[in-house]
Amino acid sequence: MAVRTIEVRERVMARNDELAAQVRSVLRQSGVVALNLVSSPGSGKTALLERTLESVGEELDIAVVTGDVQTQNDADRLARRTDRLVQAVVTGGACHLDALQVQAAITALDLSRTRLLFIENVGNLVCPASWDLGEESKVVVFSVTEGEDKPLKYPKMFREARYAVLNKMDLLPHLRFDLTRAVANARQVNPALRFFFTSALTGEGMEDWYDFLREQVRACVPA
Amino acid sequence: MHELSVALEICRIAEEKLGPAQVNRLVALGVEVGDQAGIEPDNLVFCLEALLGAPPFGSARPVLTRLPGDALRVSYLEVDDGGPDD
Repeated sequence: MAVRTIEVRERVMARNDELAAQVRSVLRQSGVVALNLVSSPGSGKTALLERTLESVGEELDIAVVTGDVQTQNDADRLARRTDRLVQAVVTGGACHLDALQVQAAITALDLSRTRLLFIENVGNLVCPASWDLGEESKVVVFSVTEGEDKPLKYPKMFREARYAVLNKMDLLPHLRFDLTRAVANARQVNPALRFFFTSALTGEGMEDWYDFLREQVRACVPA
Repeated sequence: MHELSVALEICRIAEEKLGPAQVNRLVALGVEVGDQAGIEPDNLVFCLEALLGAPPFGSARPVLTRLPGDALRVSYLEVDDGGPDD
């Protein structure tokens, strides 16, 4: 058998990244800022979005793409809270969204009526870290019920994120959760990480979050 | 968990490079995996072995090389040219 070696040296994520660049370009041309919400399951991404949609959904022209392994439950929950645009992606077993799915999803949204797009990724602190979806930033959501060492256990996700939301702050008095250590752990992995401390249930800290969203929308002018 | 998605993309790249006439002559597929790439190597090998052992491939074997950093690339393809050994 004569074996011939073909040099390839091609990045595995190159095709996804090319599609993500196309998504980013379409969103920028439309003046839409996109935030990719990533977290473990149950951190409160959907609850955070429900409250956000109710409070500033109309003001900021928010649309949402939700990703779930099965069911459209999150999209249905959000659609009950808003007349804004909500598009569901059911990944059918895949543990993350990819740029092709987001590209398809945004064609179903009216971008001319949208200034802020949330992509609610599949709940998983590992896989979504590797896929660029064309977002402006990743926002990692974690909660005080999860343990303060989460950033050390899942460093890639916390490195990839530009912002962190620490949610369920209303439960803090009932838990042995070391808030200072949690923030220190996250900043050990990513010193530039900007934090928000929220309770989607009581509304604690949500005004800071809304002000941040307003900043993001103001800063995004159509290319 | 996402290693199957990554393995599918690696196989797509190999198919694209080789074309239909050569794809079943693939004997080895080299992949470089960084230790910060978020990939579990044994899991990736398991997925690649399953995919490379089925059509359109013949029975190619994956060869993983571990590197520092976050690299994740297809590095080479080894193809049986069908001729006698040199």
